[in-house]
Parts: sequence; structure tokens; C-alpha cells
Amino acid sequence: MDNKIHLIANAHLDPIWLWRWQEGCAEVLQTFRSALDRIKEYPYFIFTCSSASYYRWVEEIDPGMFEEIKQRVKEGRWVPVGGWNVQADCNMPSGESFARQALYSQLYYHKNFGITCQTGYCVDSFGHNGNLPQLLAKGGMFNYVMMRPSVQENPDMPQNTFWWEGTDGSRVLVYRIPTSYAETGIFNLDKKTAFLEERIDKTGHDMALFYGFGNHGGGPSRGDIEFLKSISMREGRAALEFSSPDDYFTDILNTMVDMPVWKDELQHHASGCYSSTSLVKQLNRKAENLLEAAEKFSTIAAVTAGGAPKTAEFEEAYNDVCFNQFHDILCGCSIREAYDDVRDSMGKAMTIGDRAYNAAILQIARRIDTWLPGVSDPVCTEVRHYSHNPDFPRPVVVFNPLSWDIEVPVRTLRGSGEVKGPDGEEALCQHVRSSRSNDSHQDTVFLAKVPAMGYATYWLTDNNSDEEMFTVDSSKPLILENEHIKAEFDEKTGGIKNLVNKEDGRDFAEGGILALPTVIRDEEADTWAHGIFKFHDIKGAMALESIERIEDGPVREAIRIRHKFNESYLEQEFILGKGQKTLRVRCKAMWQEDFTMLKMPFDIGGAEETSTYEIPGGFIKRPCNGEEEPAQRWADITTLDGAGRRGGLAVINDSKYSYDCPETNLRLTMLRNVIFSDHFSFRPGTGFNFTDEGLQRFEYGVYLHTGEVEASDVAREAAQFNIRPAVVPESYHKGAGEPLKKSFFFVDSPNVCVNALKFCEDGSGDIVARIYETKGVPVKAMIKCDMVSAAFWADFQRNEIKTFRIDKDGFAREVNFLEGIV
Amino acid sequence: MQKPYKLKPHLCRFMKLYPLDAPEIPKALFEAEQNTPDLSAFPLPLPSLKKDYACSAEGAGGVLWYGAKTGLTRYDPDAERDIDKVMYFSADRDLADNNVKALLADGNNIWVLTDTAVSHIEMKMVDAEEKALILLRESLKYVSRRGMMSQKGLAVPRDLDSIYPYGESDNDGCFTAGFAMAEMFRYATYKREKGESHPDTVEARAVATRAVEACLLLMYIPGRGDGFTARTYLAPDEPVPDGCFFRKEGGKAVCLDKPDARRKGLANVEVNASAEIPERLAKLYREAGVPDDGIVYKSDTSSDEMTLHYLYMNFAYDILVPGDPELGELLKNAVTANMNHIIDHDFTLCDATGKPTTWSKWNTAYFETSTGWADAALNSAEILMYLKVAMKITGEQGRWKEAHDLLLEKGYAELTLKHMNRFYHMNCLQNLNIRDDLMFGDHMLAVAAFWGLIILEDDEEYKKIYREGFKTWRATLEPEHNPGYDFPYILACPDDELNMERIADWFYRNNASRLAAGVSAMGRHDVAVKELRGGGKETSWLLPPDECFISKYDRNPLEYRNEDSGGTRCVESCYVYTFAYWVGRYFGLIE
Repeated sequence: MDNKIHLIANAHLDPIWLWRWQEGCAEVLQTFRSALDRIKEYPYFIFTCSSASYYRWVEEIDPGMFEEIKQRVKEGRWVPVGGWNVQADCNMPSGESFARQALYSQLYYHKNFGITCQTGYCVDSFGHNGNLPQLLAKGGMFNYVMMRPSVQENPDMPQNTFWWEGTDGSRVLVYRIPTSYAETGIFNLDKKTAFLEERIDKTGHDMALFYGFGNHGGGPSRGDIEFLKSISMREGRAALEFSSPDDYFTDILNTMVDMPVWKDELQHHASGCYSSTSLVKQLNRKAENLLEAAEKFSTIAAVTAGGAPKTAEFEEAYNDVCFNQFHDILCGCSIREAYDDVRDSMGKAMTIGDRAYNAAILQIARRIDTWLPGVSDPVCTEVRHYSHNPDFPRPVVVFNPLSWDIEVPVRTLRGSGEVKGPDGEEALCQHVRSSRSNDSHQDTVFLAKVPAMGYATYWLTDNNSDEEMFTVDSSKPLILENEHIKAEFDEKTGGIKNLVNKEDGRDFAEGGILALPTVIRDEEADTWAHGIFKFHDIKGAMALESIERIEDGPVREAIRIRHKFNESYLEQEFILGKGQKTLRVRCKAMWQEDFTMLKMPFDIGGAEETSTYEIPGGFIKRPCNGEEEPAQRWADITTLDGAGRRGGLAVINDSKYSYDCPETNLRLTMLRNVIFSDHFSFRPGTGFNFTDEGLQRFEYGVYLHTGEVEASDVAREAAQFNIRPAVVPESYHKGAGEPLKKSFFFVDSPNVCVNALKFCEDGSGDIVARIYETKGVPVKAMIKCDMVSAAFWADFQRNEIKTFRIDKDGFAREVNFLEGIV
Repeated sequence: MQKPYKLKPHLCRFMKLYPLDAPEIPKALFEAEQNTPDLSAFPLPLPSLKKDYACSAEGAGGVLWYGAKTGLTRYDPDAERDIDKVMYFSADRDLADNNVKALLADGNNIWVLTDTAVSHIEMKMVDAEEKALILLRESLKYVSRRGMMSQKGLAVPRDLDSIYPYGESDNDGCFTAGFAMAEMFRYATYKREKGESHPDTVEARAVATRAVEACLLLMYIPGRGDGFTARTYLAPDEPVPDGCFFRKEGGKAVCLDKPDARRKGLANVEVNASAEIPERLAKLYREAGVPDDGIVYKSDTSSDEMTLHYLYMNFAYDILVPGDPELGELLKNAVTANMNHIIDHDFTLCDATGKPTTWSKWNTAYFETSTGWADAALNSAEILMYLKVAMKITGEQGRWKEAHDLLLEKGYAELTLKHMNRFYHMNCLQNLNIRDDLMFGDHMLAVAAFWGLIILEDDEEYKKIYREGFKTWRATLEPEHNPGYDFPYILACPDDELNMERIADWFYRNNASRLAAGVSAMGRHDVAVKELRGGGKETSWLLPPDECFISKYDRNPLEYRNEDSGGTRCVESCYVYTFAYWVGRYFGLIE
């Protein structure tokens, strides 16, 4: 037999799972020591290890051992793989997070070991999104090792080794581990080598055996190593070779065997993990959103307002976020205690982001000429301390982190009588109830137009009257309506009984009432929901407790609906702003139902249904078969109605990652309340903690469209839903004479979004912009960044992510996630 | 099916260069006050750095011209098409050098003073067909070499009067076949629209027939009597470059002792050259005063040549043969001899030593080599297409069908699906991006092979396979927005869609001349440079053809380069434009 079995020594390390990170860190140190000792003992032994975060721990805590590792890497005896911080969950991090996983880790590997990882490595992650080939390749990795889902879970996927083609056409060569990532024990190893020999016979190419104690680290034992060596050259049997994933893939490529090609995602394994432990999901999304906005304006401030580049601060923040994207953390299947640590470290990341954001927008705002002749002088000299005064307008600067112009309702925490825009135009405004009971109980919401990645200054005149400035006509019908949407609520159920897309007149509630919160029984599944792919056992519908109109003004209207189920409740505020294409729903849930899932269904009826889901940096279509599906900021159901109108309804969210779609019924999974780290559903005694018990605050939105969803504005709407404008109350100053509104970065195509603007990691002062195509249609886009005198064109292919590095003269280079540094 | 796209007359640039002291230059150009334009709020990307613009002029219709140290920019804020709002003119194609010192508007046109000369750039409305005819006239006058249409060298850059009378191309057969197909489709279009006897139709038929004859002659000229086809041929007194060249004399041909011939074991090898050249084809050189004895032909013929030969023969049979039975016989004999040669030699084209040429191998033995493994998908489609053409032209099934069925049994149809898989595989092995490693000339071959194969295949199951095979090329074809590829593709795969606006840009922005000179694409401020994994560089967007280097269908149009692929002393064949245009017209994709 010419082909061989590559022996890949590894120690699967979960830094957090049934233990906290401190134990995971100790486990890394012990495992690395053990692996180095084995390398010393056995001259043929090669060790493979992923995850830059682990190396960082060793570098900090045991520099001597770190030097040993460096030497072994140089010798080819220690092979770093998986150029990410951790073996991340591969469905929930955003496209930008995957870019950062690669950026910070690959540069770390390069700095310390002189290499970048060639092989992506997520042997335990539960599913792998359809855009991952692009995200891996642009991070410098063209091979990938994975294991889940198993053959039983997804028999359609190729086994063994195959080409995986992503949504943009990128490819990586995948080894789907057919055994386990942690084989150990003489009898077991003998059995598994025989099994792999059979695979060699079937495929005609090499196979790989991943051996060594894992999960809680460990690595190969002396016994395992010596046994494998002893059987490595058996006559008539496949040779066994101590090897690495990189060498395995090189040998495969040299074989010239036609590998199968898989042009879909790699799902499903743990269908419940995309909704368990809402806390960690919310922290992840919030941190991603915040860091994107903060870094964009921090970069702009450093270029235009003399701020210092905060590259190191953002790296620190992102490293925390990336660490917490480890699959057992983000999937909500670790122990409860671990999430206290996660909350703290994500808090740290967000504090870094908040501080940088605040400094940046203030630095920019202070350069704006807000001086009002005849008004500012007396105010500044006499009554500067007194900001509440109805006699003069005060400036508020609204910042838009998105790469397109927006017109959105913006809230300030004070009542104002009048709002004017930067060109002196009247802005629509209204009062809304504040969250405080102090003062007038009134906040102001006004409709702000803000240019792309820029700001606009609005002038607000105070209203110090004690009189309530908002009135609600409770006799009005329970309808919310604007230029795009009409939603009528049902007094009996609290659902939506008419939901009309005013573009084509289609009523999506024609077949029945929408948005009736539904409780699903979830008693059989463990935290991951192993072996369970559908959640359809309805325990009951929540009962309407109250419904009332709470806002009724020119900027927005709102209706509050409260549903109840046993001792739990869900309060939803449906808010429709003027000109807004998304009906926003602010939710507060007090959940106390053990072993349940809460779903929000939208059954739009019709035929020829297609469901589409946002995935990291792209979108994917899936069958409407009712299986629980991971998704990012939006999911959509599109059908053809009886009148021949093709259109759909997308449900956008600010912190959720799970939906299902039985036929024409798209259901957002709002929470999942099962026992923490409940692996085998063996539940002795009582007193367990549950993943989603207690108070939850989140938002979702409903967006209607004509035609296919990918051709609609859903990507922008979802980004706008997640990344809101920042508002800075300002004062009078001449600043640096900057205008009252300005855009710093602009792309002209509705197909492309900018999701990062940052400084290059090499300290050159070059700026880096990451831009991706959202509609699955090739497009030529103009990219303009006046602050560095850059303006150029770029062709984008379907779902393509491009990274541009722009120098001080505005010349641009297209690079990968590693920014042209390596 | 794609709806016909109406191409309208469009601006086209024409440049004339004057020495600084030429009397034609208006004095006002030297006296005009030059003001640095304020471009601080310019709304679009500019090809030069803003600080490098030093002069400006306003032309007719509010068009603004800006001169910079790095070339000339034309800005038409009211241009109908976005791509026309900002145009770039650069050395050497539009300017003698890039340092623009003064501008003088002249209606729609502009006088441009640079360090070393003055350019007068005229902007004229030209319709797409007129452009095809201007290009044709240029090629017939300057490029044609006894009917072959590739390129000609110039003694002085940009001086068509300094053209060399000789010049050969490694791919004369391939490029001339492209030209021949364009002219056949022109003839067929005129015949349909103007009638058979219309002078334009008559002229078009004559041009098409001569081009077909020039191609066919390459299949006869070796005179080996075994169907071997030459890459090209030279007159006895023409200089012979490095390569595998055989000089015919006294019924024999001997391979000249050149380095390449020595490497390939062909130097001084003698072969038969006694087979008669049909008089109708021999006229092409005899009437030019070239004797039979002493003719030098090039061997080591590649599959590139053969693929385009078979495709043009297919269309020649449909379009020209019905009124020209003699041509039909010549085609039939050529196909029969060549196909027999290929089958007799285990699906290879064999040279004088009895060994296959470097690149004409379509057998499974080749497919098992590391190079052939990646080529197998394309080469399978090629040979299946040849056999289909042979069956059609000869009107016989017999041996061709036997061979065809044998190849199908060996899995050749399924092999056509494997292009991207194997190509990607080999790229990964070499740590390359596919665009690093792609031979862009393979695009034309894939288009020719699959188009021919799909239109000739009657079996719907196989047709479906071949369509899928063609689609495996789409990922690299599509970004070129080249109608020469896209039109055959959509004709073969009508379930897909084309971006006709990008295609229209291509037609509109092709120049009305193929005079090579080079441009200054590198260093443009409105272009980001894309670095490929293997070190290659591309532009971040597809430059319009009049701002991009000139090449045939054999280069990556996104390549980050200034030089035309034929160098600065060259005029290229028009077929790049005319093939696309007349395919589009004939098949109703454009009007």
C-alpha cells in the first residue's frame, strides 16, 4: 500500500467548558510541558497545536517554555495550526471577527515563530458557515481540519478529504476527521488505524489519525507514541508516519486524486447552541458592533483631529472578544460560573471600545465650528454652566458609523421644543417617555440625516416646561403606519393581523396572525441539543395581558403589548419611525420556564418558499424544512402570494443567532432555557441553573420587501438596526472651522458595506478598510476617503470581502486580512 | 435568453502627435494661461494625485480637461455612462510623455503640450460597427501577412509607415482563425440584412474567404502528407527566430538548427514535404511572389492552434461552403487528414521525430502526468469538439464516431467538468492563487472548445454535462466582461445572464486602432493594486480597454502593467474587437 496514515499528535484543549479559564490556562501549561517532553524523548515525534491565545498565556507565564516551543517550531517538531485565537464557533462571530481572529493570531505567530499557519483547525466546533472558505483563505489558510457534524448527523457531506467551496467561490481543502480528534489507548489506536486503512482503500489517498488525550488537554502518552511507532511499518499494511496537518495536505495535493467538491455549509451538530445562554450571544454582538463603530471613528479622529492611533487598545479588546468566541463559550454550553468571567472580559473589551469611541467623537466634534454669532458669546461668558435654557439652541452632534447616508430617529435624554438641522432646516421631533422619573420624564426623538461615516450637527432648543409634551390618543386604532409599512394589531391576541408592504400592497398576515410568542417544550435535549434538529413541540402560546398605544408623534409611533405564560412575561414595544423600513420591536422578557424555548413566528403563507439567512460576511439559502438554523443579524422567508407577488419578510435582531422555518413560517428563537453544560441529560436532584432564566432585554425588527431578499436593502437595514448613531451633546466653539456636517468615508454602491476602518498593524500609519459585497451580484464600487486623499474604484465579485490598505498619499493596495504585513 | 442590447454611437479617442515645432500647433497652446485647477471637492476618483494637476481647460459642452505631471484627465460631469465621466489619457498611447504643461481646448478636442511633443486628441462619435470596420481596414492594410492576421512589427514606435514587411506569430493559426470567424459572421450578417449581392456582402465574403484560406493553408503547408498542421510559415528570405522551423526544399524539409529545436530534438531532422499544396491556397503566397522552395514553416504545433482551426472550420462549413464547394473539399480533406493523424497517433499531434508536440496531447497517458492532469478537462473538451466537427464536415461517422465513443467510454465527457477542481488543486500545491497561475490564453480555448462542443452535441445529457463544464470556467471568465468570451458562453449556456452594461462599456471604450504603444496604468491613483499570492499583481477594477494595455485573447486584462503585450513597436490584429462584435451581431445579442 503506497498511501499512509499521518499521525497527528494533539491535545484538544478547551480553555473554558466544564471549568473556568484559570483552569484552562493551567491545563495549557501542563499540556505544553508534556508535549515538549515527548518531543525530547522521541526524535520522530511531532506535536500539533492550535490557538494563539494559548501561546500568549505561555509567553506571559513561562517565558522559558515559550523559548523551547519557538525552537521546536523552527525544527518542524511543533506545528502551530489554526491561525486564530481559539477554535472559534464558526457560525456566530461576524465576518469581521473572523478577520480579526486571523489578523491578530497570524501576526502573532509570524512575530514569534516566523511562520503563519497554513491550516485552519476547528476540530470540535459544531458547524461551519458557508463563507468560511473565504474567511480562512483571506486569513492565509488554505487547508481546514474539522470533525463535526458527524456522518450520522450529515451523511450528504463528503467524508474524509474534499474541496469546500464557499459562497464566493473560494476553496479550501478539508479533512473531516472520520474518527475522533482525541484517539488514545493501544487497542483503540490499533482499531482506528485499521479503520483508516479501509478509508485509504476507498479513497486512494492518505488519511490522518488524530491522537492524544483531549478536551482537558493532555496530549499523547508515551504508551500511545511507542505503540504507534511499533506498528508503523507492518508488512502489507499502510505505513504510519508521525506528521502534521500541513504535511498531510501537502501529500494529498501531491497525490493528484480528484477530491469531491462540496458547495454548501457544514451543518448541523448542536442545533440548540445558537440560542442557549442569551447573555453571551448578546455580549458578542454588542462588542462586535461597538468595536466596529469605535474603531472607525477612532481612526478618523487620529487622522483628522490629531488623536493617537489606538491600534494596541483595539487589539487588546478584540483579543478578548475573539477568545470568547471559543465554541464552548459562545455556544452557551459552558458552566454558569464561566459566564461571569466572560461577562467581565467582554465588559473590559467594551470599556476599551467605549473610551476610544467617546474620545474620538469628542475630538472630531470639538473641531466643528458651532459658534453662533450673537448667541454664543453671552452664553459662554455668562451662562455657560447653565445648559437648560429655552432661549438658545444647543448643538448636538450625531455620528453615523455606517458607510451610507442614514435618516433615522435619534434620541437625546432631555426634552426639547425645537430641532434644526445643520443647514438650518426644521427636523421632525417629538417627546417620548424617558427611563427616569426625574425632571420632566421626557426625552426627545428627532429625525436626523447623517452622512456616511460622518457626522451632522443638530440644534436643539430646550423646553423646560413641566407640562407633559407628549400626548397619546388611546382611541386611535391599533395601527402603526408609515410610507413603507402598515401593521395592524389584534386586540384579542396581541399579534399582528395585517402587515402590509406598501410598495406592492401585499399583506403578509393574510393567512393568519403573526408574531404570537410561542413557548416550545425542550425537555429532551441537552444544552447542545445533541441529536435534535427541530424544536416544534409547542407547549403553549403566550396569552395577551395588555395592549396599548404608547407613542403617537410625527417621528414615530409605538404600541406596547404584554404577553404572559405562567409566571413569565414578554413585553414588546412595536415602534415605527417615519421613513423607516424596519418595524422595530423592543423586548423585555422575564423568563422562568425551565426546559423551554421561546419563538416568535411569522407565517407569511404563499408558495415557492425560500428561506435565506445572514452568515458571516454573506448570506445563504436553506431549505424551509423546520430545522433549527444558525444565522446572524437577519433571516428571511420569501414566497409567492396568490396575486403573483413575490416578496418576503425578514426578521432582524440585535443579539440572536437562531431561527427555524417550517415551510412558510419563519421563527426567531428568542431564548432557550435549559440547564448549563447538561451533556447527557442525566439530571439528578434539583436546583440547577438555567441558561436563560431571569430578565432579558433585546430587540428584533421586521422588514418587508418585494422580490428576493438578497436584492433588497436587508443587509443595510440589519447593519443599521445593530449599529446605531452616537450622539454627543456639544457646546459652542469655533473649533478648527470644520463644517456642521461631514462624511469621512464613502462607497457609492448599495451592494457594498464597509465593516472596518482601522490603522494597519505595522505602525506605518496606513489605514485599512474592509469592504464586502452584500447582494451576491458583481459590482464596481467607488471608494472615497477624503481624509487621506484616497478615491479609487474596485470590482467586487459575488459576496467578496476586500481589504484595502491606503497610504498617506491615498494610494491603495488590496491585501488580505493580514494587511500585507506578511 | 439575453435580449439584444442596442449599442449607440459613442465617443472614441483619436490621437495625433506633433513635434514641438510643428506648424499645425496653434500658438495659443503655448500662450494660454495655465491655472492649477481646484479639485479639492472633486466628486470622483482621479487618475492622478490631486496635487499633480497643474493646468486645465474647458471644452465644448462643459467638458473639463485637467493636465497633471502624470497624464491628462477628461471630466464630463454630464456623461451618460459613469465610466465616461472621468477618462484618462497617458503616455505612450495618447501622449508622448505624461508631464502635461499646457492645454488648449478645441471644441470636443484638446491640444496637449507635454515635455517632448504636442498631442492633438480628437473625441469623435463612432458607432460600434463603424469601429469594427475602421479596425478591419487597419488590419488589412498593416497586419495582414499573406492573409494571416496576428501582428506586425514597426521599426519606429507608433509609426505605421515604418512597418516591417515580415513578422510571424507563434499562434498565427489561432489568431487568424479568430479573425476569420469575425469576418464570416460579418458576411453572414450582411447577407441576412443587405442581401447576397450587396457590395458590402460581397466584400465581406471575399475577406472572410481569404482568411479561411490563410488558415487552411497552415494545415497543408508542411506537405508531410500526414495531416500535420503548421503554426505559421515564412517566406524564404524572411528572418527566422528561435523555434522549431523547417525549411522546405526539393520535396523535403529540414529542421533548422535553433536552440529551441535542439532542446526538442528536432534540429536537422528531415521530413517529407512533397505533398502538394492545393493551388487555391498556394496562391496566397505565390501571388505575393513567394516561391514554394525555401518556405520555412513552424512546427511543434499546439492544441491552441488546433482548437481554433476546428472551430473556424465548423463555421466556414456553415457559412461559406454552401456557395463554395471547392472550399468544402479543402476543408473536408484537411479535417480528414488531421483527424486521422491525431487518432493514428493515440490522440496526439506528432512532429517529425514521431513524438507528440509539446502541447498537442489529448490522450489519457498525458492526463496522468502532472501537467496533463490539470489540462485534462480542457483537452477532453477540445478533442471531443474536433471529432464532432470532423463528423459534420466530412459527413461521415465511421472512424470519428468510433473514436468519439471510445473517448466517452474513457470518461472524457465527465473529465470536462474537472477544470476548476484540478486547476485549483495544482495552484494550492504551488502556493498560488488561480489567477497567478492561469494561462489566460486558455480562456479562448475553453470558449472555443465548449462552444463548439455544445452547439454540435445532440444528446441532451451530454450537452448538460458540457454546459456544466463550460461553467467551471466562468469564475475566471466573468471578471473580464469580454463579449468575445461572454457571447459564446451565453449562446452555449442560455440559462445564465450577462452584465450587458459592462459589455457595452467594453465595446464603447475600445479604441479604433490596435496600434500598440502602452499606457500608464501603473501608478494610477484611482486604481488599487491587488497583490496575488504568487506575487502577481492586478488592478482592483477592470480598466476600460482604451486605458488598458493592448493584447490578444491571451492575457489577463486585470494585470497591473503598462506595456502592450506586443511591445511598443507593433500593430495588432483587429480580431479581438471584431470577433466579439460580429458574433454579437450575427447571433442577435447586440444591435
